[in-house]
Amino acid sequence: MTASFPDTLTQRDRAIAALAAIAIGVQVLEAAIPSPVPGIKPGLANIVTLIALLTLGWRAAVAVTLIRVVGAALLLGTLLSPTFWLSLAGALAALAALGLLRPLAPRHVGALGLAIAAAMAHITGQFLLAWGVIIPHPNLPLVLPPLLLAALIAGSVTGILAAHVLADPRIQRHVRLARHP
Amino acid sequence: MTLSGLRWGDGVIAALASGAVVAAFALAYLPDTEASMLVITQTGEPPRQEPLDRAREIEIHGPAGITRVQIEPGRARCADSPGTRNICENSGWLQRHGEVAVSLPNRLTLQVQGRGPGYDSIHY
Repeated sequence: MTASFPDTLTQRDRAIAALAAIAIGVQVLEAAIPSPVPGIKPGLANIVTLIALLTLGWRAAVAVTLIRVVGAALLLGTLLSPTFWLSLAGALAALAALGLLRPLAPRHVGALGLAIAAAMAHITGQFLLAWGVIIPHPNLPLVLPPLLLAALIAGSVTGILAAHVLADPRIQRHVRLARHP
Repeated sequence: MTLSGLRWGDGVIAALASGAVVAAFALAYLPDTEASMLVITQTGEPPRQEPLDRAREIEIHGPAGITRVQIEPGRARCADSPGTRNICENSGWLQRHGEVAVSLPNRLTLQVQGRGPGYDSIHY
């Protein structure tokens, strides 16, 4: 199989493709879980983004996330729908937050802090798109506080899970850790 | 140094995020009780809004007579109404979001509103 890949395909590219595939799978599975409140879900696929960020760097995290957003939308049939744009806006906002915090990781900020910051940025980006474009209602900010609380909880959970995944020797065998901290 | 442990930045981010959540709840839900608008609803008429910006009096004609509404900055009251039991007048000054005075003989309600949560429902 490997012989059919072009020589320019690096180990890193394969790692990005594998992580993106895992992320798409996680997101599709998560879409099947009914949520008690519309618009609130754990965002487990962000664990994969965090792992990409901490092992392969920010650009790989961007690649994995964008492939995941588009790939999951294709599978779920939401491509170019409001759901897709909300997903993309959240992903871009989360990536921006991760990009800002990247210089501090992993020396000063661990997976937990990154996950919380990304989750808060994610919901804020989604909210701004929803409020600005999709439902420009003056009272929409009233739904933001519960969403932020949900993001804080979801970010903590995904952060803890990401830390556990990174600590697992079975994972560390497969992912070479980034040299530059 | 492993990638999985906690760092001091995690605590800082968690604290900042928690603070943002608390602040968001406080900003969004602590009611702004000061009234700024009087809404007059009368049977058969479209609701009418009067801003509580300057002192004045308005008269509302109803089936039983005239209800005089006195408006001052930030508050309003039913000054005189045809009801014999003076229920409308006895409601006093309406100055906090949601306070209401009713004149049944004239089939009307007076309610003041502020900027407090004013949504009816949220749809997804």
